[in-house]
Amino acid sequence: MRFSEILHLVRLNLTQNKFKVLLTSIGIIVGAATIVIVIAIGRGGKADVAEQFRNLNAGAIDISYEQAQSSGFSFGGGGEGMSFPGGGNMPDFSGGNFTPPSGGDFIPPSGGERPERGSGEISGRSGFFSGFGEMFGGMFGGDGETKNTQKITLTTDDMDDLATYVPGLSETTISYTTKQDIYGGNIEETESYTVAGTLSDYADLSNLSLLFGEYLTDADNENKSKVCVLGYSAAKAIFGSPEDAYDSLVYIDDRPYTVAGVLAEQGTVEAGISADEAIFIPYATGIKYLTGSDISPTITVIAADVNDIQTVIENVKAVLASSYPDAEFTISDAGSKMEAANKSNETLTLMLIAMASIVFVIGGIGIMNVLFVSVKERTKEIGILKAIGGSRKDILLEFLLEACCISMIGGVLGVLVSFLVSPVISTFSIRMEMSVTGAVLALCFSLVTGTVFGFYPAWKASKLVPVEALASE
Amino acid sequence: MSEQIISMQGICKSYQMGGETLNVLKSVDFSVNKGEFTAILGPSGSGKSTLMNIIGCMDSFDSGTYLLNGIPIHEAKERDLVKIRNEQIGFIFQNYHLIPTYTVMQNIIMPLLMRGEDRKTAEKECQEVVEMLGLAERLQHKPSELSGGQRQRVAIARALCSKPSLLLADEPTGALDQNSGAEVLRLFTKLHEMGNTIVMITHDLNVAKWAERTVRIVDGEVFEDAG
Ligand SMILES: Nc1ncnc2c1ncn2[C@@H]1O[C@H](COP(=O)(O)OP(=O)(O)OP(=O)(O)O)[C@@H](O)[C@H]1O
Ligand SMILES: [Mg+2]
Repeated sequence: MRFSEILHLVRLNLTQNKFKVLLTSIGIIVGAATIVIVIAIGRGGKADVAEQFRNLNAGAIDISYEQAQSSGFSFGGGGEGMSFPGGGNMPDFSGGNFTPPSGGDFIPPSGGERPERGSGEISGRSGFFSGFGEMFGGMFGGDGETKNTQKITLTTDDMDDLATYVPGLSETTISYTTKQDIYGGNIEETESYTVAGTLSDYADLSNLSLLFGEYLTDADNENKSKVCVLGYSAAKAIFGSPEDAYDSLVYIDDRPYTVAGVLAEQGTVEAGISADEAIFIPYATGIKYLTGSDISPTITVIAADVNDIQTVIENVKAVLASSYPDAEFTISDAGSKMEAANKSNETLTLMLIAMASIVFVIGGIGIMNVLFVSVKERTKEIGILKAIGGSRKDILLEFLLEACCISMIGGVLGVLVSFLVSPVISTFSIRMEMSVTGAVLALCFSLVTGTVFGFYPAWKASKLVPVEALASE
Repeated sequence: MSEQIISMQGICKSYQMGGETLNVLKSVDFSVNKGEFTAILGPSGSGKSTLMNIIGCMDSFDSGTYLLNGIPIHEAKERDLVKIRNEQIGFIFQNYHLIPTYTVMQNIIMPLLMRGEDRKTAEKECQEVVEMLGLAERLQHKPSELSGGQRQRVAIARALCSKPSLLLADEPTGALDQNSGAEVLRLFTKLHEMGNTIVMITHDLNVAKWAERTVRIVDGEVFEDAG
């Protein structure tokens, strides 16, 4: 029988049973839609990570010190699992505890204050992602509690030591964050803001760009000037607009600071200080007026060659060990953080793909069931076809093509459904990047499922003995 | 001596029913010459349909030899049987056995399509038969929209259009009333006159009378009718 004629028969059968086709393909519809959405979420996650890390320099290495807590309680940074160059709160799992993801501003007992920007601000999904990192970190990151009992505060001297003795560094900087009460501009009651003490090169290192004015200078630091640079959102919140903020006065801990510059909007970032919400002041100014020595700064060094990062880390450890023999520093590099984030992203994507596969298998079994029923129902028809000279191949092909068509229809409908559903999912602040690849993959999966699960019933149909098939009622 | 279309010798067929063996055909010898119109007459359960299915190459048999147009069916493989069913045999059933989802035309041209012909050629080829059977107006209808007699004519058209060497009819009038039954039988006579070889099964002596030759089957054995 000609292929085109078999196709014609398939069309006849399908158009005659439209509702049945739809019911049969529901499993495939769901499966295909799931695949498209899963891939969109996976891509969205990747894009998210790329975006959230865009302020990180690939060669950046953060060094901070974490004093062990006698209580055994550790500050783990909640759901973010990422370290802040300014606060250096790389999760410390030594106590085996971790703070609940909701803890927005957690003041660690060790003294130095951490950025207020905690998990509360990260989208739900990002928190979930980092949850993975935390789980893995928790498994491998546990350090003995005997170390890091003394109090160490990293200083600019340590930074200078590193700059001098560690080869292959292009830049170094040091920073810390603290929470401070602010007023000025449009705000009447004091409000709590993250204040970051930074050096003049911080803006460059963190890829910050300025909307107005300029960043803090070395002179500001040396003179301990009361000047500040406002993040975009902070400027808007305090003064109404970045223009109004520029050159105005902000009161930090009741002392007036001149706004020397306003940053351009940075967007949400996963690592580093959330610049939009922060107020940047000269490093020395903060120590003098706000914190005293009660800080735990992060030294950030940039490896000139990204490939040298491991060597640089070893050298950093060696140099620090000569100053602080018994201390264990928390050292993290941007590259591995990105890798970790991408890893947990991939883990999630894999999990979702596994889920989609299960949906497909269920959809396939659904197709198989309906086709079996259909073969049963149409046994007589098969008998007639055989009696008038239909070959096994013709019958196998007809049923198989029917299965393929049903699954293709399901696949196409599924892709349509996914495009309808994606805006709904996006409202749960899950980022989706719909792609043609995803749609094509879903269609391929549908086709394969239909073919695989349609084959057995079709084969059964083709094997029927003509008399027996004809005799069936 | 005319050419033999069917030549059967010692055909046996039995079914295993639980532990017992049911011998349905007991060494049947049966032959049909080209151009003959034969009726196989027998009571219900005598094995008529079983014999018919074997003649039509739709069922296997336990022993014996069967030559159809000289082709040894007892040695043929399923693949060959498909071809023989398609090219040599036109089947007409008591219950029409039309495919309900197809139109009349689609039903009629199916044997030709299965041969690998394209739709246009097949439709053209059937034109004559369709007109002879008065189905020209009904081609786009579904079988469910036709009367019993019309449906049987569609089935006959399907059997005829492939120009088989043998027409097999199992109780072709069984589901029809007197008039439409007679109409079908008149058609058979006409087809016979046109040179077709017909084997028809019936349990009704009055129907058998339409044939030029009657064979009786009783309890799995075939006897030539004296009349
Ligand atoms: N598939 C089968 N399995 C077991 N027994 C069968 C089978 N087909 C037919 N038989 C038996 O073989 C015998 C002959 O059946 P067959 O259908 O040939 O009778 P028939 O002469 O056509 O009867 P009717 O006039 O009622 O159609 C019956 O006793 C029947 O029960
Ligand atoms: Mg019968």
